[in-house]
Formats: sequence, structure tokens, C-alpha cells
Amino acid sequence: MSITNLLNNWSFYRNKRPYRGQYDLNRQYSEYKWAMALDLDVCTGCNACTTACYAENNLPVVGKKRFQHGQVMHWIRIERYWDEKMGEFPEKGASFLPMMCQQCEAAPCETVCPVGATSHTNDGLNSQNYHRCIGSRYCSANCPYKVRYFNFWNYPSTAWPAPLPDQLNPDVTVRTKGVMEKCTFCVQRLNEAKSRARTEYRLVRDGEVVPACVQACPTSAITFGNIVDPKSKVAMMWKNQQVDLYKDMQEKDNTVRGYRILEDLRPFPSVMYMERVRDMEA
Amino acid sequence: MIHRLLAVLSLAFFIGNAVNAEPFVQGGPIGSQTSDGYNALGPVVQQPIEFPHYRHARDMGINCMYCHTGARRGYVSAIPRIDKCIGCHQNIESVRNKPRIKKLFEYWDKKEPIPWKKVNDLPDYVRFNHERHIQRFYFRQNRPVREVCGYCHGDVANMTVDRRVKALSMGWCISCHQKDHKESDTNMKTSHGPGECWQCHK
Amino acid sequence: MSESGINRRDFLKVLGLGGSSLALTGCGNTDIRSGDELIMPNVHPEDFVVPGLSVFYASTCTQCGSACGVMGRVREGRVLKMEGNPESKISGGKICGLGQAAVQVQYNPDRLTQPMMKVGGSLQPVGWDKAMALLEEKTGPRSGINGEEFAFMTGAMSGHLKVLVQNYLDSLGSKNHFVYEALSPAVSFAANKQVYGVDMPRLHFDKAKLIVSFGSDFLGTGASPVHFAAEYAKFRKAPRGTLIQIEPKMTMTGANADRWIPIIPGTEGVFALGVANQLLKHEEFAQSVPSDIVSLVAKYDPETVSSITGVRSELVGHLAALLWEKSPSLVISGASVEGHTHGVQNAVAIQLLNKILGNVGKTLDGQAQSPFPQIAPNAGSFAALKSVNDGMGGGKFKAIFIYGANPVFTAPSFMGLRDNLRKVPFKVAFVNAVDETAEECDLVLPIYTAVEDFGSHVAWYQPEGVEITMQQPLMEKLYSDTRSMGDIMLDLVKQRRADEYKAWPDFFTYLKTAVINIKPAVKYADTDEHFWYDTLSHGVIQVDAPQQQIGSNFSAAMLDLPVTAEAQDPKFPFYLVPSERHYFRDGRHANCGWLQESPDPLTTIVWDSWAEIHPKTAESMGIKEGDYLEVSSQNGTLKVKAYLFPGIHPDAISIPLGQGHESLGRFAKGVGVNPFKILNPVFEKSTGELAMYGTRVSVKKTGESEIVVKDEGPVSTQMGRKLVVTLPADVAQLSKEI
Repeated sequence: MSITNLLNNWSFYRNKRPYRGQYDLNRQYSEYKWAMALDLDVCTGCNACTTACYAENNLPVVGKKRFQHGQVMHWIRIERYWDEKMGEFPEKGASFLPMMCQQCEAAPCETVCPVGATSHTNDGLNSQNYHRCIGSRYCSANCPYKVRYFNFWNYPSTAWPAPLPDQLNPDVTVRTKGVMEKCTFCVQRLNEAKSRARTEYRLVRDGEVVPACVQACPTSAITFGNIVDPKSKVAMMWKNQQVDLYKDMQEKDNTVRGYRILEDLRPFPSVMYMERVRDMEA
Repeated sequence: MIHRLLAVLSLAFFIGNAVNAEPFVQGGPIGSQTSDGYNALGPVVQQPIEFPHYRHARDMGINCMYCHTGARRGYVSAIPRIDKCIGCHQNIESVRNKPRIKKLFEYWDKKEPIPWKKVNDLPDYVRFNHERHIQRFYFRQNRPVREVCGYCHGDVANMTVDRRVKALSMGWCISCHQKDHKESDTNMKTSHGPGECWQCHK
Repeated sequence: MSESGINRRDFLKVLGLGGSSLALTGCGNTDIRSGDELIMPNVHPEDFVVPGLSVFYASTCTQCGSACGVMGRVREGRVLKMEGNPESKISGGKICGLGQAAVQVQYNPDRLTQPMMKVGGSLQPVGWDKAMALLEEKTGPRSGINGEEFAFMTGAMSGHLKVLVQNYLDSLGSKNHFVYEALSPAVSFAANKQVYGVDMPRLHFDKAKLIVSFGSDFLGTGASPVHFAAEYAKFRKAPRGTLIQIEPKMTMTGANADRWIPIIPGTEGVFALGVANQLLKHEEFAQSVPSDIVSLVAKYDPETVSSITGVRSELVGHLAALLWEKSPSLVISGASVEGHTHGVQNAVAIQLLNKILGNVGKTLDGQAQSPFPQIAPNAGSFAALKSVNDGMGGGKFKAIFIYGANPVFTAPSFMGLRDNLRKVPFKVAFVNAVDETAEECDLVLPIYTAVEDFGSHVAWYQPEGVEITMQQPLMEKLYSDTRSMGDIMLDLVKQRRADEYKAWPDFFTYLKTAVINIKPAVKYADTDEHFWYDTLSHGVIQVDAPQQQIGSNFSAAMLDLPVTAEAQDPKFPFYLVPSERHYFRDGRHANCGWLQESPDPLTTIVWDSWAEIHPKTAESMGIKEGDYLEVSSQNGTLKVKAYLFPGIHPDAISIPLGQGHESLGRFAKGVGVNPFKILNPVFEKSTGELAMYGTRVSVKKTGESEIVVKDEGPVSTQMGRKLVVTLPADVAQLSKEI
């Protein structure tokens, strides 16, 4: 029955994403597509977002040894780059890049999961179901952004010496050894806001809910919202920056700053970055 | 304990067809699900006070949500706070000396919580949103409260201490979420429940 | 699932993996059960408590001195997360990582949970009765102690706890309140006092078109980093301002600059005078300062400046041209400028640019004058540490109380503070966790953390009006044997003034009375009780207060800076830059896992100390990343790994502060090295403050090497990928953006 099922519904599983009309404010379960706009010109690299994520999402502190082995679990990290043409000194400062799951529309991780533990949600998130994950790590291998983190150790029994577990967020599962995890755009907050909105027969208002990183950011470098709603700030920013969710290559003026990272790989990420600006005359 | 687990309301009933009471069929081993609609009777749970649900919900006709106030506004329906019990019972002299009421007042006098045992206990990684279900089926669709709550919790109004009657398994949740439910008595638009992992799995 | 779905087992069968079972997640219950878990109802909760939903309480962050208004997210009686309080003008609803870590201080596994008394050389648990009895015996009215023999050392304080500490000292007839901050703003305050007549002017980053920062890491470790970051964001919006940073070692602010200029530590003032010299040649600026200053700065022609500062001579004129072009501008100075023998002179020379450019009153004016001087913050200083150390060494004190400071960790080893402290017969520490200082004490009292206690705070940098931020408990105390610092202080005051304080059984009632006394100043119309609860629920009291008038007083005598390059000491050829990490500061919160694992923004190193060395210097010495170096001053040696860092002056070597704890807890102990220890006795000449940046060191390879644990990958550039793209400011059209 199952293989029959699979064959019968082949086209359903072979669904191309994204396609225009996929999201529609007036159609139930299609009214949200969460997206971000991240202004690299005001990101100072301060790591407030990272720490907020640790607090909100029960991320384990792995310690020096495991960090050295590349087993750190920061769902959002700040990458620091020096200019390639730098002379003796980095005269134009450093380049900071906050990197979290880009919630790709055509997510490379989803297609390789042997058990369907990672899949797309109706509101455009790339969900990770810990209970289904068998730890093959194919998704991480296939992720161009390297934002999936694997639990090599049984952190619930080691990472939170008592009474640190009292701090854990009850809305987020504490992941155990052998499962993959990643940024969720703080789905627990989104679900709560969506429920509240549905109870009040409305859509989630712009700015009503933001992930922990966005809430913390001292320079408000990150804007978050529902890109399906053309009046949301994030949708207006994407439009203003001439970045189209459905296109893999943007035709835009050279004066606008919006771009998506590794767009040419066609994952259709949901995070738009805005170029860092430097006064070259200074 | 009174064992009149009548008529677990069928899905057909739920979406507004004729009342079609289906006799309750005891399920397989505890926690398992049966092929006949996920009926699975849980174990008898010994509670610190043998709370008579039938007295409150059936005899007195008290709405479930009068005590389980979280159900309409939060993820968990919640066990009532003790001052809620006392609020009524300090004025009901007739039962003041019954052993169960005396026990209640003992807890109250010590200002100690009553260590109730959880009967409908989902795994920790699942979040069931009471609010949405109550808002949708009780407030929006105006179904009787015993029917709305009873779909998952059984006929609590005829129980003393509550006992689980459904499997509470994922398949059972999904089976209902996939069906189309009428929006309201006037709005014939139908919709089904959300069907993605992150809706319930946290 | 029905026809359109496919379940996981089907998939497993397709893949031939059928029958494999999974270990499910996490802690707790993973089954559908009945009767296994308890569900405890609230007995008599507040009306707004709904199980499963969060409640937010307003409070104040005490992790640093900026007193940001915060909100604690509370679920089922536990505080889970800190957020910014949007009603606070200081935080503006935002929060930094250090503030987030307040919950890790609260739930720290190494917290002190009961009073400890030194018995036979080690700390042993005792009850509060015994602890308080000992306090009474040693410092109570019958102890015969007089005010001269008693010392109270605290970190910088404000609010009503400060008042209580003062009252206690008054009751003893003591003037020995030593306010010590290892990273104190005292030099900066002294310079501002000379020039503007105030401790700290109000800075309008958002109004400036050009900010020239001499070593001020205002985004990371400034007076109010969260507020400054918000202002900085406005400054970067159209019309986008330009930031120029001049400093020996790139700070986080430097990393965000449009132009970063390395300079020999301590010569920043000379560079500023060189720029002033160029500016004063313009007619429009020539009259802005007295003629003796004009003739003084005339000595600093670009070539001289270049030879002293090590900065290319054309940059002097370049900076002057930019300042002339982009008005209004803002010129500020920071720790690496002030931590020298001529620190005040340096800072004054930099402020001279503001005067010449006419920025005073535009981008820089007076803060609001607090109408409540008794709760206004006091500033810590090194001078306080010095006098307490001298007093202890001279056997002056019979008893010392220490709160909010860890001098054994932060005092340089040349002071011999540990030995001097041991000479005091009775030492008491009030702490959350046993630190290096508490280890030396005779009595260690566990106090509430910031999220368990009441309090009031006033920041010394006020963006608008005066904001009194209220602190209230976000949860019940975690350990029954801890006490509120305020309650203890009240008990102590009552030792001698029981009658005056009998109206207040605890600090809560004291604070409530005191806060209600503020009511007339804010013209609150409702009852006292309403005012109190309103204040707590909003978390802030905004007081309109008149702005301080600032002067701008400069004279040639205030600008006495070297006119020739400083001679090098061949034995100690490197300048030591003990850099302040934005989440570590003086190291008091080093025992938080989140902070240890939060990569340093510039090096991305975690869980360690390191020595930043310029790649060119490293190459000439044959040093590679991870090589252990011996960094020696006249007062000690640190063995620390090298990290090749392009953002540092080739003659400088930088080691971050905050690590190298010998105590404090499992996450901090034994991690890294403590550069405070090797600082030389070099002092700022007008204030007597320790010149933190005045130490010279030698660097020697040990031959050992170890991998540097960091977040950065094997390459530090983008390798041609389009990850972070940089757009020239003249191309970008920020004004058309949303």
C-alpha cells in the first residue's frame, strides 16, 4: 500500500517550490511566509542575538573541547571576515555576517532526509522534527550555509548542571544525542502568535511576534515578518531592495543593497541581507 | 467510581450531522490504540482526593471551563487553583463535613497545592493547544461544552475521578485534523486542522 | 495518514530500513501516560497567572552599570529569559548578551547557597544566626570598633541601597566608603570635569555626520552600550554618518568603522593636536580657541605627529579635511586613550577638537541634572583601591566589608593586595558565588541575585531626563539560606540606629517608602499605593530634570603632551593592551557558560585567553597561531597562546581581561590568564588612577603550541564568495530605503 501510495502521489511529492501563488493572504494555511531582512551595515557583531538564542531555544553549552571539534550548537553565529584586498591593516574594519538557517523555500536539506524529518511547513519554514530524525546527517552535508547542528553528545545529562535546567524554556524540546537541530525562527513564538490571532479572527499583526534574536538586537539590524502581507515592513523592504522571493537571480539596480547569500545555488532563502556600506573616502 | 462511560461522540456528530451515539469500546493495552477509532481506556488513577466530576458537571451542571479556566485562553486547560475550590465550598455548609471536603480544607489551611496526578498526559515534546480547540468548537461553533471537551476526554460528567478514554496518539490527532469541519452554523465553509510537524511538536 | 500522505514507516520500507526504532528526544516524558506525573495547582495565585503562559515583569539589569530597563519572562514561577523593557529610554526594549546572562547568574550551579565562615583556614557552612552574631560581635556597638577602623569596599552603586550603605557608615561614624571599579571611568570623568564642568556630557551619536573615536569602544564597553548601539543605528541611516576609529587594537567599534587607523598607544592626544593644528589654519576655526593654544598646537606639524604616533603624516590632514567637510561631528575618547600617565591630557586634547569644530552644544551637551543626589551613582576609582590597600597594609582596619568588587582578582600583583587583605582581622564578603576575594574572607554571606531582589538604580549616563530604573524580584529566592543585601544592610544599620529605622522591617518597605517620596517630583496624581505599583509594573520612573549646563574651558596648560617620540625600552619592546571584552568586562560574570561560549567578535575565540599580535610582527619573530608566548612585564609573566590579528599596532600586544580566575566556579576557574596581574605601577599623573595601558612587555616564544579554539574557519576571508558584500557609501542610496 505504501509504495502504491508513493507512486500514486508522486506529483504531490515532486512539488516545485517556490511557485507564484503558493502564498495567499486569503487562503487558509497559506497566509504566512516568515522572512527576514538583515542590514549588515548596522550589525555590529556584538553577539546579543546569539546569546538570546541560547536562552530562548535551550541551546547546550558544549565546552572548549567539543567546540574545538566543531560540535558547537549555536543556531545563529556571527561570522567575521577580513577584506580580501586588505593591506597591512584592516582599514575598512571587519565584515560581520550573522548566519542562521535561511529557511530556504527549495531547501537542499529537505530532499535528502531519508525519513522526512525535515520538511516544509505551510508558513514557509523548514521544520526539523527531532522525533523523526535518525541522525543520518545528510541534511547537514547538503546545507550550503552549514547551519545545521548535530547532537554528538547526550547534552541533557551534561550541559545543564543543576539548577541550570530551571532556566530551560518549556516551549522548546531539549534535544538528545543523535538528532539534528537548527534555527526555527523561534517557531514556538510564531505558533503562539498565530493561535492568538486565529482566536481573534485576524492575521498576526506586523511586529506582533519576533524571534529572540530580532527582539534582542541592540541596533535593530534584523527585521522579521510575514512577507505575504504586502504592508508588512519586511515585505516592503524586500520590494524596496528589489529582491524577489521567487527568483533565483535578481535583476536589480547597483545602488540597492538587498541580496540573498548563495542565491545561485537556487535554494530560495527567506533571509535577505543588505550590503554593508563603507565610506571609501574616509 | 461510576463507570458509565457513555457515547463518546462520533466525528460525524462533531461536524454537525445527526447525533450518532456510538457505544464506547474498551481498547487494547494501556496507551495503545485500537483500529476502531483510537479508543483506549487508561488505567485507574488514584488521586489525593477522589474528585466527583459527576457531582459538579452533571448534577450541578457546571461548565467545565468554570474550573478549567486555562482551556479557553492557554495551551493547557489547567487544574483549578485551590482558592477557586474554596471560593464556592466555604459557602456550602451542607457538605462541609464530608471527608473529601475536609481534606480539601486541610490543604487550603496549610496553603499547600494538592498533588493531583496527571491523567491526560501527552509526551513533553508535544504541545496541545486547548485554546484553539475550545475557541473553534465551543465559542465559534456553539457546540455544547460536554461534547467539545468530551471528544478527547470522554464523558467526564459521568465519572468520579477522571480516566483517560482515548489513545491520545498522533494518528488519532491527525485523523481528526484531516477531516473537514464546518466553520460555524451559519458559515458552511469547511476547514481542516493544520497538518505540519511544528504545529504540535516543539 | 490518508491517501495523499505518506507515513514514515512507509518511507523506511522504501529504503529498506523497516523496523529500526528511534531513541526519542530529551528529558522527561516521551509516552502517553496516566498517573505518572504530578500536576500541582496554584494555591492562591495572582489573577493574571495562567498556567502555560508567560508573565513579564519589569526590572533592571545589573550586569553592568548602564542600568538598562529589562523584562523578565516568568513561567510557572521561574524566570526563563531577559528581554529589554521598551519603556526604558536607556535600553529601548533591547538587551545585550551580558544582560541575557543574568539568568545564568541566577541558576548558576556554583552559587553560594549558605553563609560560610572561615574555620581553620577553610570556609565552612554556618547558619545565619551564627553569621549575624559574628557580625554583631566584630562590628556591632559593643565591639568598640570606631569609624576609622572600619572599611566598606563596594563597586559603583546607585539607588537606595547606596543610601543604606552610606547610612550604615554614618552610624559607625566612618568615612571609609571605598568605591572601586577595576575598569573605572575616573580619568574620563576628570578630563570632562576640567573641560565641561561635568562628569560626562550627553553624546548625540545620531546627530553627528562624522564620529571620530579615539579608542572609545562605545558599542561594546561604553557607558551605555545598548543605548549607544541604538543611536549608532540611527547614525548609520540616511544621511549615513562616517565613523573613524583611531586606536592601538581594533575594538568592536573599530571593526565597524569606515576607517580604522592603528596608532601607538598613548599618542592619541598628539594626533588630535596635529589635527587641531590643521583645523586652526582654517580661518573659520582660528578664533575658536585662545591664541596660546593656537601657538601650542602649532608645534604639532604632520611630520612631528607622524614620528610620535606612528600614523602616516598625510592622515593628519586627511582627518582635518573630513572634519571640516562633515559637520556637525563628534569626537570622543576611550579607555585606550585615558589609561596612560598623561591620560587626562590626552582626553582633553581630543575634546579640543569638539571645541574647535563647534560641536559643543550640537552633538554634545549636558545630561539632565538628577534632582536626587543621594541616589545618584558614585563612580569607582583605582584611587579607592589604593587607599584601602594602603590602609590594610598599614594595619589601619579592624574590619572590612566587600560588596560588588573582587579586588584580589583585579588588583595588579605589584600591590600585594592579597597579603594586605589577610592582615585585616575581620573580612566579610557579600557575594552570589565565592570569588577570589571571598576565598580570603572570614565570613562570606550569600545574597540574592539581581533577579531575586528589590532595588532602585540610576545610571550615570542618562539619555533623556533622569530615569530611575526599578528592580523587583522576578522569582522567589532559589535558596532559602540566601538573603537580600538590602535586608542585611538594614539589620546592620539597626545595630546602632534601631529607633530611626524601626518603621521598616525589611528592605522592601524601606524602598517602598523611599520611592513613594519621589512621587511629588514626577507629578503623579494618584495615591501612593498606586504610584508604587505603577512604578514596579513600568519598571522606570522618568523624572524631568533640567539639563546640566556645560562649559568648554581649555587652556594651554591642559594640553601638556610630549613633543618628541617616546624612547623604547629594549628589554620591554611591546606595548601591552589589556583589552576589555564586551561580555566579560572586569571578569565578574566569567562563570556563565553562555558568555564563555560566545565568541569574541573579532577573533572568534572561545573559552580562553589569547595574545593578539600583528601578523607582520609574528612573522619576524617566527610566531604562528597557537604558539605559546611568554608575555612578561616587570611585574610578572603570562603564558598565553598567540593569535595573529591584523587589527593591532605592530608594536602592541593585546590580551583580553576577565579570564584567569582561580575561583568563582566551574566555567571560569582555570580558563585563560589574568592580565591585571602583570600591570606595572604606572599611574595617571593628575588623578592617580592606574594607567592600564601604560605597561610595557617583552614577548618570548616558549616552543609549545596548541590549537586555538575559535569559531572562525581555516580562512578568514570570503574566498571570492558573495557573503558580505560591501557597497561604497557614494553608490548606496540609503535615503530611498525603507
